[in-house]
Amino acid sequence: MTEMNGLPEGEGPLAGVNVLDLSWIVAGPTVGRALADVGATVIRVESPIRVDTARVVGPFHGDLPGVENSGLYGNVNAGKWGLTLSLNVPEAQDIFRRLVQWADIVSESFTAGILARWNLDYSQLRKLKPDLIMLSSTLLGQTGPYKQVSGFGSQGAGMSGVQHLTGWPDRAPAGPFGPYTDYPAPRFALTALLAALDHRNRTGQGVFIDQSQAEGTLQLLAPALIDYLNGGPALEARANDDPQMCPHGVYPCRPPKDRKESWLALAVANDKQWGSLAALIGADSALPFAARVGHQAEIDEAISRWTVQRNADDVESILQAVGISAHRLASTEDAAHDPQLAHRNHFRRLSHALHGETVVEGPRYILSDSDVGPTRTAPQYGEHNEQILRDVLGLSDGEIQNLAATGALS
Amino acid sequence: MLSPYRVIDLTDERGLLAGQMLADLGADVIQVEPPDGSTGRGVAPFFAQYPDESIYWAAYTRGKRGLTCDLEDARGRDLFVRLLETADFLIESSDVGRMADLGLDYETLHEQFPQLIYTSISAFGQTGPKAHYVGSDLAIWAAGTPLLMTGDDDRPPIRVSQPQAWGHASGDAAGGCMLALHARHQTGRGQQVDISAQVSAAQATLGQVLAYQIGASEPERYAGGVKARGIGFRVSAEVDNGHIVLNMAPGPAVGHFANHAVQWLVDIGAADPALLEENFRTYADRVASGDADPEIFPRIQQTMMAEVAKRTKEEMLEISIKYDLLLVPVLTVVDLAESRQLEARQFWQEIDGDGSRQVTYPGPPLKIFVDGEPRPNNKRPPPRLGQHNDEIYAELGLAQSDLAMLRSEGVI
Repeated sequence: MTEMNGLPEGEGPLAGVNVLDLSWIVAGPTVGRALADVGATVIRVESPIRVDTARVVGPFHGDLPGVENSGLYGNVNAGKWGLTLSLNVPEAQDIFRRLVQWADIVSESFTAGILARWNLDYSQLRKLKPDLIMLSSTLLGQTGPYKQVSGFGSQGAGMSGVQHLTGWPDRAPAGPFGPYTDYPAPRFALTALLAALDHRNRTGQGVFIDQSQAEGTLQLLAPALIDYLNGGPALEARANDDPQMCPHGVYPCRPPKDRKESWLALAVANDKQWGSLAALIGADSALPFAARVGHQAEIDEAISRWTVQRNADDVESILQAVGISAHRLASTEDAAHDPQLAHRNHFRRLSHALHGETVVEGPRYILSDSDVGPTRTAPQYGEHNEQILRDVLGLSDGEIQNLAATGALS
Repeated sequence: MLSPYRVIDLTDERGLLAGQMLADLGADVIQVEPPDGSTGRGVAPFFAQYPDESIYWAAYTRGKRGLTCDLEDARGRDLFVRLLETADFLIESSDVGRMADLGLDYETLHEQFPQLIYTSISAFGQTGPKAHYVGSDLAIWAAGTPLLMTGDDDRPPIRVSQPQAWGHASGDAAGGCMLALHARHQTGRGQQVDISAQVSAAQATLGQVLAYQIGASEPERYAGGVKARGIGFRVSAEVDNGHIVLNMAPGPAVGHFANHAVQWLVDIGAADPALLEENFRTYADRVASGDADPEIFPRIQQTMMAEVAKRTKEEMLEISIKYDLLLVPVLTVVDLAESRQLEARQFWQEIDGDGSRQVTYPGPPLKIFVDGEPRPNNKRPPPRLGQHNDEIYAELGLAQSDLAMLRSEGVI
């Protein structure tokens, strides 16, 4: 045994908290990333065989696909330490158990039942460490007849109703962009893990969290669900229509030279705002809401005639100046130049071993008294294997070689 | 789990979910409204049987207690400050600048209550060039970039029909509250948590918000799928009674699911058993090197679409589970209400309101076990206007006579 120095401790509200992150793709890793941002030491355990989907979907650096080129993988894993483990190898399972002893929090997103196959599920790990906090996050949860449905998030959009509720009434559902359940789910998981950590610190009790990513997403559809469940109509996709705002939609603007299209989002919330808009576009400013809905097509046409002659930035400024909610539909290039996002220091440049520099998003909150955020890029495959095995578990070079020879790491 | 903590929830329709998340985790959450009611009570939809009552409000105040207090009135503000003495968290979502106008901004309250965690939810953040922009679900979705990526490519981009932006921001607010709590354990001091819904919405892009800055091409909208680097990838397919989401593609990450689909097609006699020799995890590389026929996959895909079109969503889900496919039905609101999975997990909960009223709600977002035991659901119904005034104000030491006067003068 060599001396165990541990990994360098982070800084921030969670400094000294150890997290073992076995999750993959987006929903689970996003939680680990948020914990790393605030100082937790997060070891990301990755299969060296089964490629993390986040590594093979873009956006890619320079549009070049490659497992070390994914901006998505980089965004949801920045600041973590990387270890590769083939968990079907018994020696790897042993390493995993030892890391559980080190961890305060274990986060995983295997299909329900997989960890149990290796005797590494919560009921087993709890015996090793009664005050363990563990998050198991899957598309549909750990129980129920469909618990094993393989789910990347695109399946989640279907199973959570969001796919069906994003579209035009006269067409097949368009669906949201990408795996929608991956967006709300990490918020619920992070909040609960931090509450569990607080609870454990006060009581010494361990906590297990069974997350159905779909059930998390359903929280954001709650009004529509409650309506139908209590005798109301079932919501159907209605494009950009809103039950209480009119006009409300996306209107064409004059595109800049290098673009095919340009759009403006506009939401008129009350009669006063309508009056201001009507004065600009030359419409009847006295029309009440019901009348506007009745003449929606004409109003939309009048707005489009006005917007299409102008560029979206100008229209946004003109409308915001008179108190109407409007914003151009930002492309990712626009976001890069958005003065508000710049003001919040939302995009963080990190030096990257392969790409020279990469960009990741900052935390989704500004804490007035705590400077938090990613300090390192996401780990490359097995980047910290030796460091973790040596400094966290105290393995000698010889032991590490023997372990590698079993196939546990590759 | 959060039972030692009290949250004063001053949010309106722009932030109600944050406090509810903390209430579901055990915090004592007091929803504070003006005496004539929160604007959140006016947000659609409304109950079929009670057309004056907002379902939106009920959905996101379930689990909280309710208090009225007029912050425009000096006596109301005084009561509010007394209430804050008992609080760990204040969450608010008012127009940027309004809290300062009321003398209730972070700087002022932090001086008075250094331990208080003060969380603000707004469309763009508390400071910066767009801090005073008028926000809305649609404008936030536009500013955060997901809107431009969503919809049919021959029509304007579209949002999700049940508004989402404030929900994402509220989720980040709840997480920010918890982080500030852990910071307080370290330092003994509260701080401000500043949430920008624009930033929250950027999460709904699968990392594509970074595309330009890392030299990748802009994502494009593509109905029923995603389009990246100019290549459309459809995941939606038609079945006999609706739609399914089906990811079937060659490649190292998902190719094995395509192999499973071939197995099913062979088993039902729709594909040649010789195709079982093909491995779609390595197929793309072999096509590139000229060792595999580029026509095989498109043909399989066509066969697959033809076969699923003959079946229902429910049949395809059973097949998906049996063969381990990346395929699920596109559930409607009605399908969700009838879901066997949600029923088995006892997701829906009946909550008793006034008199004989019983309302069915979604359950909490997570199943949580403390020391091996399941946590009970928070089944407190949404508060009526001022429902808990008496008990909460009494706790602050107000006499019945004071309350009666404040009530008659419209302060509470």
